[in-house]
Amino acid sequence: MTATTATLPPEPLDRLAWIGRVWPWLFLLALITFFEAWSQARIGRTFIFNGYNLQAILLAASAPLMLAIGQTFVIITAGIDLSVGFVMGLAAVILAQATLAAGDSNAALAIGVGVTFLVCLIPGWINGVLIARLGVPAFIGTLGMYGVARGAGFLSAGSGMTVSIDHEGLAWLGDGWTPIIVTVVFLLGAHIVLSFTRFGQYTYAIGGNPQSALRAGINVKRHLTIIYILSALFAAVGGILYTARYSAGAANAGESMLLDSIAAVVIGGASLFGGTGKVIGTLIGALIIAVIQFGLIFLDVNAFWQFIAVGVVIIVSVLIDQYKEKLASGK
Amino acid sequence: MTAPLLEVKNVSIRFGGVEALKNVSLSLNPGEVLALAGDNGAGKSTLIKVISGVYHPSQGEIWFEGKPLLLRDPQDARSQGIETIYQDLALADNLDVGSNIFLGREPMTKRFGFPVIDRAKMHDVAREVLQRLDIVIPERKLTGPVQMLSGGQRQAIAIGRAIYWNARVLIMDEPTAALGVPEQRKVMELIHSLKSTGVAVILISHNLHDIFAVSDRILVLRRGEKAGERLIAETNGEECVRLMVGDTYQALQ
Amino acid sequence: MSSRRTVLFSLAAFALSALISGPAVAETKKPVVALLPGVVDPFYFTMHRGAQQAAKEEGVELLFQIPKAWNTAEQVPILKALIAKRPDVLLVSPVDKQQLVRPLKEAADAGIKVITIDTYIGEGKYQTGKGSADFPISYIASDNAEGGRIAARALAKAIGGKGAVYCENNKPGISSTDQRLQGFLEELKKYPTIKVLETQYNEDDANKAAAHVAAVLARTPDLAGIFGVNTFSGKGAAEGVRKAGKAGQIKVVVFDAIPGIDQDLKSGLVDIAIAQQPADMGYWGVKFAADLVRGKKIPAWKGTGFVVMDKTNIDQPDVRKFIYSN
Repeated sequence: MTATTATLPPEPLDRLAWIGRVWPWLFLLALITFFEAWSQARIGRTFIFNGYNLQAILLAASAPLMLAIGQTFVIITAGIDLSVGFVMGLAAVILAQATLAAGDSNAALAIGVGVTFLVCLIPGWINGVLIARLGVPAFIGTLGMYGVARGAGFLSAGSGMTVSIDHEGLAWLGDGWTPIIVTVVFLLGAHIVLSFTRFGQYTYAIGGNPQSALRAGINVKRHLTIIYILSALFAAVGGILYTARYSAGAANAGESMLLDSIAAVVIGGASLFGGTGKVIGTLIGALIIAVIQFGLIFLDVNAFWQFIAVGVVIIVSVLIDQYKEKLASGK
Repeated sequence: MTAPLLEVKNVSIRFGGVEALKNVSLSLNPGEVLALAGDNGAGKSTLIKVISGVYHPSQGEIWFEGKPLLLRDPQDARSQGIETIYQDLALADNLDVGSNIFLGREPMTKRFGFPVIDRAKMHDVAREVLQRLDIVIPERKLTGPVQMLSGGQRQAIAIGRAIYWNARVLIMDEPTAALGVPEQRKVMELIHSLKSTGVAVILISHNLHDIFAVSDRILVLRRGEKAGERLIAETNGEECVRLMVGDTYQALQ
Repeated sequence: MSSRRTVLFSLAAFALSALISGPAVAETKKPVVALLPGVVDPFYFTMHRGAQQAAKEEGVELLFQIPKAWNTAEQVPILKALIAKRPDVLLVSPVDKQQLVRPLKEAADAGIKVITIDTYIGEGKYQTGKGSADFPISYIASDNAEGGRIAARALAKAIGGKGAVYCENNKPGISSTDQRLQGFLEELKKYPTIKVLETQYNEDDANKAAAHVAAVLARTPDLAGIFGVNTFSGKGAAEGVRKAGKAGQIKVVVFDAIPGIDQDLKSGLVDIAIAQQPADMGYWGVKFAADLVRGKKIPAWKGTGFVVMDKTNIDQPDVRKFIYSN
């Protein structure tokens, strides 16, 4: 054999692999185009080229997206975090209570945020210990924490189930584009970590082959524990933004967002078997869901169709994911 | 004569009530291939785990380059230059060639003042290492996950990784077990080229053909003890099997 | 290949949508009213039908969307999509009297007139010039406090004036159910021989309500009566009583007459059902909306009535018609 690196012509399978990677973007574009066309034709108004509409869609995407960012890290390691919805609720309640106790100033808000993060370290750390050190399957461990966080949130909130708070700085945080900007900042941070740092590289390695990661000297147990703590902290930010937007911390804040967070990650191209996935993909997944929801309501379609639509998109994503697996290993 | 590169001196190890290795000694010189043979449960895996720092011997010593070696863990062994390639290759299938070569010790560079992984360097090294080993992998597969490569190519990457990190002793556990014949031959070629660069190899194999193709000496273990050691040139397959199986074989005659 | 495909696909989508949607809609003069209730529930579907009738009478275009759970995070995105359509008036049942204040303010700021039905935000007293939640124009609902009082009296009578009772509730923070509870508790103060146990919250989940009944019964075996403050609370309470084999022994008064209530009344599982008139609420909501669009003033509060149902009157057609339906 000669030592030349032969340049072969691109194979048709490569094109398929490329589509497999890029299809969420294409689909989002097609969706937006479709709704815009429908909207113009049916009601003579624009669907997307409007500040309010765009903001509404982005806000609707941002809440489950915050959970989904943490979920992306977890899913890349072939795990799953079912507790994120109620950790978000717990955080929403704690933020309201801690800030109320600390006063009216922005410093009080900072204290509230700090306390919220500290409290949310606990469910994350427990998840990490259960899964990384005690070998409990992620589904079961985080399912247990789902119940614990839920109980903790409701207990903390008391009989009212929500904690109202009227705080100027907090209201500013929840106003207009601010929650979207905060979400984007965390998204970018997550992207940088996953793509450019050793921490990100090890996350992928552990997801691909925990044995080889271990042999390479990576402290897999510690890394996984940190991953679950990260997931809880992202959920905490989600809870903080909720309280900021609605001036009240509700223990059930994230109750309906767990499945959307997982759906966003899967639609974005990550495999539930671990080893692949990008937060940008998760972003596209969250946007697809939000565009479908907003679009169907904007066009007076019965909102229950949106569940069917999102369900179909998830199934298609998983099928594409399976096909990608087959392409990669069959080669 | 210079001291051997690696010396295992009267090593024993117990696990609970079982003595997995009893008074085993061996020595290894640079550029030598020592085949390690024996039936299942003979102690081959245990021995290489002691040499690579996974286990600590209950008795006996390991000397490396003329000095005693106390290994705390496998990372320690790697940093000394003792690398192990296990049967499963320990490659991360979802990462590319460069990432696998550098897993755990990624080179960093600065982008806008922040430390980031130097992927360009990892890619260049990957290309270089494969060239050095005379392996052809098309450019686009170089950037894809190693899952896309054949068994022989993946074995080559595992070997390439060890070479890049200047392994002095390379332990290979059943390197050709899952390969077809042409790829087996390729791996044997690689081992030959390792020899010529002065790397010492301990080769565990059930494949007598491979052993005779590439080894200088063979050490046979039986039930944790050294059953015999021969120069390859002075022995044959039948004798090796006899050493592996012991008296029971005689009884069957 | 793929970018060309995308362009082709988009053009096809555009063409297709233009085809299937028929002629482009010309500028319409019809007033547009959006109805956004609290959750999927026969009460709100009945409200929708009342609204549809008024819409037909007034020549109003009625938009309708319904959240799948009683939850701020569910209602707000739907609200925003409706705001984006710039209806003239928004009829809404806010799921939380505090959390929906800011989102509804957005609607008001966008020039959409807000009328709340069945539940309110803030204190429910609008157009007073006081507080941050007084911007809605009107509040249309049953007088829930009075409804609670009616329920208390009916339950007291059913249990013979003595015994232990409790209230099965949705969750705190909802104006309607909070007021019913308040009326209930206040009225029961007039009956010193009746012991009021702690209220249970089931988050609008009938299964939880049923489980609560079992738990309370275990603690207080001589439980005499339960007040279910809304559809699912009542349903769950009745189910819990039935499962415990105490149908007829534990008296149940429920708010809201869901489909099947006639059977429950006749079998004695439920003693009294206090039916609200959601069709009226929907009807008046749209009527008021049409008035607003035409520049007429509307009252800041409109109370709709109750129909007290029991097994003696349930078969009368003019009582029966007030049972809610999908």
